Amino acid sequence: MENKNEVLRLLQLRFIGKILAAFTHEIKNYISIIKESAGLMGDMIKLGKKSRNEPGEYLEIIHSIEEHIEKTNDLFRYLNRFSHRMDTEISSFNVNETLEELIALLTRFANQRKISLEKEFQKDIPSMNNNPAMLQFLVFHFLEEKIARLDKNSRLIIKTESANGSTVIRIIPKGNLLDIDKENFTYELQDNVVRQLGGNISLEKEETVISVPLTPS
Amino acid sequence: MSQTKVLLVDDEVEFVLALAERLQLRNYYVNTANNALEALGIIYKDPPDVIVLDLKIPGMDGLETLKTIKKFDPAIEVIMLTGHGDVRSVEEGMKSGAFEYIMKPIDIGELTSKIDKAHGKRKKE
Repeated sequence: MENKNEVLRLLQLRFIGKILAAFTHEIKNYISIIKESAGLMGDMIKLGKKSRNEPGEYLEIIHSIEEHIEKTNDLFRYLNRFSHRMDTEISSFNVNETLEELIALLTRFANQRKISLEKEFQKDIPSMNNNPAMLQFLVFHFLEEKIARLDKNSRLIIKTESANGSTVIRIIPKGNLLDIDKENFTYELQDNVVRQLGGNISLEKEETVISVPLTPS
Repeated sequence: MSQTKVLLVDDEVEFVLALAERLQLRNYYVNTANNALEALGIIYKDPPDVIVLDLKIPGMDGLETLKTIKKFDPAIEVIMLTGHGDVRSVEEGMKSGAFEYIMKPIDIGELTSKIDKAHGKRKKE
């Protein structure tokens, strides 16, 4: 049991590490775009470039800088919310928001494998009173596994719905799935995590279905 | 003096376009590509002197792309673009024949200095 908990803790740390790596990589890209765009405007002024479409070209660059500052801000907001999910073990949360921030932080990682992450969230889904950090950890492992197994140019749909006092999260791969070894996150560990949330996991063809009660019993 | 022919490869379209324009203002001849296949197409048709290659591009891994480029023409010099967490990839890239690497966000002066050195090496070979 001690060993199982230790493995789980290590996997949670690995999960946080992965999220931080994806986040910093993305932020670095946005900062690079902002820096090059500002640098280009500086060059146009310093090197006396005569643009065909002068204030228009400057405005376009300024717009791109503003847009990337906005994207950077969004990502910081997601990371901040993600960090606070661990403040207390049980809290009231909106499952769509919780998954949205996870998806935002993993989009880059999926895009690099040419896989698009798509949300199909039920609107007005009831709030949950459970462990949001543990739920993100669980969903992350299924997303990571599917991303590793899916062929390039595939889609991965994350769907939420409510049914009989539970929230159901469906992870639906759309594309060819390759067989690879399932690393450290064994069925036993998945079971351990989902039991802590009071829910269960089932497989419907290639679709993973996670059902978690709104409040753990 | 003839222009140095540079190919910029990065999936961030706006980053590539802004950087390309900055290099053009400094009298470099610049082509751009946003993925490995596009880059390889340009390399076969219009071989550049120096390639600035992001290590994380979709389609084909940056390191694989580097090896393919070096197999096609070992004299084309490649400068790797990287974030600072990619130490292992940088080491592997250097072993696979990259000329240098530069970290994002880049300093334009540092980049042009590396491009010039890489071009100088290509001309000597």
